[in-house]
Amino acid sequence: MKLHLRVWRQKSKESGGHFETYEAEGLNPNMSFLEMLDVVNDRLTQEGKEPIAFDHDCREGICGSCAMAINGEPHGPNKGATTCQVYLRSFKDGETLTVEPWRAKAFPVLKDLVTDRSAFDRIIQAGGFVSVNTGQAPDANAMPIGKEEAEKAFDAAHCIGCGACVAACRNGSAMLFAAAKVSHLGLLPQGQPERAERVRKMVEAMDAAGFGNCSNQYACEAVCPKEISADWIARMNRDYALSLAQKL
Amino acid sequence: MTQGISMMIRSSIGRKWIAAITGLLMIGFVVVHMLGNLQMFAGTPDKINQYAHLLKSMPGVLWAFRLGLIAATGLHIWATLSLARENRMAKPQGYAVAGRKSRLQVTLTSATMVISGSIILGFVIFHLLHFTVQMVDRSYLSMQTVSGGVTMPDVYRMVITGFSNPWISGFYLLAMALLFSHLRHGAASVFQTLGVRDRHLAKIIGTGAWILAVALFLGFAAIPIAVLTGALRP
Ligand code: HEM
Ligand code: SF4
Ligand code: FES
Repeated sequence: MKLHLRVWRQKSKESGGHFETYEAEGLNPNMSFLEMLDVVNDRLTQEGKEPIAFDHDCREGICGSCAMAINGEPHGPNKGATTCQVYLRSFKDGETLTVEPWRAKAFPVLKDLVTDRSAFDRIIQAGGFVSVNTGQAPDANAMPIGKEEAEKAFDAAHCIGCGACVAACRNGSAMLFAAAKVSHLGLLPQGQPERAERVRKMVEAMDAAGFGNCSNQYACEAVCPKEISADWIARMNRDYALSLAQKL
Repeated sequence: MTQGISMMIRSSIGRKWIAAITGLLMIGFVVVHMLGNLQMFAGTPDKINQYAHLLKSMPGVLWAFRLGLIAATGLHIWATLSLARENRMAKPQGYAVAGRKSRLQVTLTSATMVISGSIILGFVIFHLLHFTVQMVDRSYLSMQTVSGGVTMPDVYRMVITGFSNPWISGFYLLAMALLFSHLRHGAASVFQTLGVRDRHLAKIIGTGAWILAVALFLGFAAIPIAVLTGALRP
């Protein structure tokens, strides 16, 4: 099969960018989207041109690197899948695809499809951890956690920090990401001592990084490859208010 | 104390709480206001005239409510506009090709909150000048009636006179349609912002918000429509 690509090319953070068109031909429908980009890049390299820069690592949907929007949809057209898990059979033969980097103030484009997502790291550094004294690893099941609580915490912990939620949001809001991280730790006994402080600090870091504010439209949840629920945002709103109430 | 308040005012979630609580207060007001208005259909002008007279006879209570509402409205506008301004800055560039609306769950009502809210504000100002300050039509000042032996303003006649003007009725109906639009999203949003929405409640909340918004629209719109069609006459 073949695809007609319009890809965002940008030299550096400072330079402007533009679309370039590429014909990708002789493709196998069972190739992944990233493999298709590899084929295009091979050709560009052979022609002595600069290959398209894009982030990728695991290529199995667990690292969250492969950030790009396909036809304005972060991670492409499929529900619950990262770009690396999107296969060409999801598209029509001869289809035109516009490929762009995440668009958000807090995620500046570094090169082509690569964005700087360190703003997420700053949110995690502000409180996305539990403080423990080092020592031996604790015995398994030394701290009993109910099955239901464990499952809920695990649902929130599924977030891979890809940033698609921010990319899809018309406000560039990171509330789904922050809520997943706040809730994952806040549901477990290990997270309780720092719970109130954690949500305050993480929200503060999120605001400082220049993300927008949730307006309850849930584009984030629709594109999230891990199907993180917007319910977590409601939970974070609650947790935050309880935390502020302690300061009143 | 001051630390909590300053965090509330500065933070994203704090201002969302302010928007939601003030929004809820305004919803309470519009519901009561609509129910009060429906007394236009009581079959006699006395009912709404006496109701208006009763409210005016308690200036202390009336002004407490008015000041509370003005404060809530001011805070709502400040909170929502400051959030909306940050939202625009956070997304300086959109995608060249827009994603499918169905996939991204964007609805027209949720994407136009600032526009619907601003026109509602414009309407509220006009509405107050019209019926409360009575600057739009000075003749209202002399509309008096006697009910139960007491002389009082003839609110019933003012409303009929006002809505007989199709421009005034038209603007009123437009504003009520936008109130529907604002609350269809807003009344459901409140639950998410205040942290009581989840997967199971989402459907009930969404439907409830829709019913509330429709009921408010029909309740408010009934009066100008009844006047224009002649169902309500002097
Ligand atoms: C009768 C008047 C009004 C009522 C009853 C009302 C009600 C509401 C409610 C319930 C919300 C949802 C709050 C949330 O949980 O996020 C809301 C949101 C909003 N309102 Fe209003 N509102 C009114 C007037 C206005 C005015 C005059 C403006 C604009 C200047 C405005 C702008 C907004 C905006 C932008 C939002 C979205 C906030 C967000 O998504 O975070 N509203 N309104
Ligand atoms: S919440 Fe979903 S979309 Fe957002 S960073 Fe986590 S995995 Fe990605
Ligand atoms: S490359 Fe790791 S999730 Fe796609």
